[in-house]
Amino acid sequence: MRFPSLLSLLVLLPSLAQAQPSVAPLESETAQPDGFVPSYTIERIEVRGNHKTRTELILREIALSPGDTVAADDARVERARLRLLALGYFLDARLSMIKGERRGGAVLVIEVEERGTIILNAVYLGTSEATNVWGGLDVSERNLLGRGLTLGAGFVSSTRPKVDGAKPALAFALRMAGPPRVHGLLLSGNALFSQGSEFFRARGPSTEPAPADFVAVNLRRAGGVLGVGAVLSRTAYLAAEGRFEAVHAELPTLSDRDLGLGQSQPIAFLVRDGSSRLGSLALTLDFDSRSDPVLPRAGRHLVMSVEAATPACASQYTFVKVTAQGSLYFPLSIGHIFGVHGLLGGLVGDAPYFDRFFVGDLNLLLPPRAFGINFSTQPSRDFLGTNVADHRYDKLAGRLLLEYAVPLWRRHGLFYRGDAFAALGIFTMTNPGDVSRHGASLGQRLPADLTADLGLRLDTYIGIFTLSVANALGRLPL
Amino acid sequence: MRSLVHLAAVTTLALAATSAHAQEPEERKTGFTRRDGRLLVSLGLQDLFKTQDARRLLSGFTSRVLVRVAVFRPNQPEPVAQSMRHTEIVYDLWDEKFRVRRFEAGGKMETLVAASASEAIALATALTAFPIVPLDRLEPGVTYRLSVRADLNPISQELLADVRRWLARPSARSRMGSGESFFGSFVSVFVNPRIDESERQLRLVSQSWVEPAR
Repeated sequence: MRFPSLLSLLVLLPSLAQAQPSVAPLESETAQPDGFVPSYTIERIEVRGNHKTRTELILREIALSPGDTVAADDARVERARLRLLALGYFLDARLSMIKGERRGGAVLVIEVEERGTIILNAVYLGTSEATNVWGGLDVSERNLLGRGLTLGAGFVSSTRPKVDGAKPALAFALRMAGPPRVHGLLLSGNALFSQGSEFFRARGPSTEPAPADFVAVNLRRAGGVLGVGAVLSRTAYLAAEGRFEAVHAELPTLSDRDLGLGQSQPIAFLVRDGSSRLGSLALTLDFDSRSDPVLPRAGRHLVMSVEAATPACASQYTFVKVTAQGSLYFPLSIGHIFGVHGLLGGLVGDAPYFDRFFVGDLNLLLPPRAFGINFSTQPSRDFLGTNVADHRYDKLAGRLLLEYAVPLWRRHGLFYRGDAFAALGIFTMTNPGDVSRHGASLGQRLPADLTADLGLRLDTYIGIFTLSVANALGRLPL
Repeated sequence: MRSLVHLAAVTTLALAATSAHAQEPEERKTGFTRRDGRLLVSLGLQDLFKTQDARRLLSGFTSRVLVRVAVFRPNQPEPVAQSMRHTEIVYDLWDEKFRVRRFEAGGKMETLVAASASEAIALATALTAFPIVPLDRLEPGVTYRLSVRADLNPISQELLADVRRWLARPSARSRMGSGESFFGSFVSVFVNPRIDESERQLRLVSQSWVEPAR
């Protein structure tokens, strides 16, 4: 008797396990009749509708071959269909069989309907006190030459920032990745060229974003990352990456911050003057047991990474950076979801500023970076009255975020799924020297601030994006 | 800043109201019979199948239909009772006939042969005198309503989660840049809407009724 499909449905519907045992007697059989589900021997496989995607790629995904025996309810068939759909290359994929040449034989027919595979990864557009406007695009072709290769490119450009000595930003990025594989290695590569400015306070109170109070470091970066990843288990993924960059920095002539009352202190520009090299190796371990990677209802997601830059990697910067991020999701009885997100990071050594923990990456209410370039002088708002406004690039960081999500709809169409969410959190960032500073208050040792967000998370036909108050606030000079 | 927060809140609430309205299940006329101490319902769900689905019954692979029926009191989230029927339809390529196998709550199972696709669909989707609940579990004078959900080719949650996780594997990490967009952040993965809990769902409610005195 073939029960797996029924059992899987009972797993899907736990409440049915307690269904009322009150069904009226029907004409039932006590035994499963032999041969209810017929089996066939695959004589050959035909793939139809793939004008662009290579037949070999499709055959590799379905994991069925001529000579295999397949039952009408074989679980491999549904899995094969879903894997074809999950590639993202097809609007639809169907498997069927037609009679073969010999009794018991069949021809397996795979019909696919291809879709456009150029997708929008990002649209950059914003304005701040320091930069009138910045904008850019990032797009990818996910099925290059029908071989399943990913090729992505992006750029961002800005007007000249109002900070003295700053230059307009310009960045290009290029990405390539091998075809997605459940088993085996996934190869990827990124290349980046960017030039722009970072802003360092030279005078004025820390809470003021006035561009006239800052000086600019002009930086040019050119380099890339080569990576290899492997699926370790159903929930674990390991990636290793090697990175190399050539960095060129022009430091401003003004190198001291005016503290007022005739006092000053050197500005830590956190990058080597002139040309320098940065090389590193990184390992990332990803545990993911979420029910869904986009709008999870339950499960957990833990990502741990270690990056080491050493002279052995031809690097003139020596540092080790460790980051751990975790998310837990708890389904509530009323269908809502409670999420807890944590981040801890630490860095030892002389990392350049762009590899340190940036306040805009921790505080949802600040403008984020694009291709590693920051466009704003806005400090954290300091709701807790600590001196967090003084901190922009630090070696130690932590964040705890609580999130409550309400599923709004699940349907077909352009907007496939949507959740409303509200999040509230606290973050801290500091340096080892500040933590151990003698006589400092807690707020000076561990400066912290509140962060929050409210909005919609949408799963759409062209990708997944978040429409939120924090995103809006972060892009406007408020 | 305050106006932006208000704007976002109003937008969120408006979208929530719109989507809630869009999700309101259709009310469908349902027949009720009380026999042998049980409430029996009769209801047609043939529209779960579209024309192309009927053709796909000839694919040689098993098609599955899961029908779940629950009895609710108005404004109470927990059902008073629920029942289900799971049907498998398979077309034998060489015998050229449809076989239908139906499982019901309580472990009952029956096997049937259908002469055509439409007959097989009817066997899977027509509820005729389908037993739902013993009458002694319904209180006379109380209003009840049925909630019905039918799924064509449902997928186990475990398989669904596996596929979605695999879909989300980073094809290329962009360590050197962030992926933020104007007023939003994009993630470069497709979630094909056909990767769902089932290929098609039908959600209905019956007309409400007041349980008569016995």
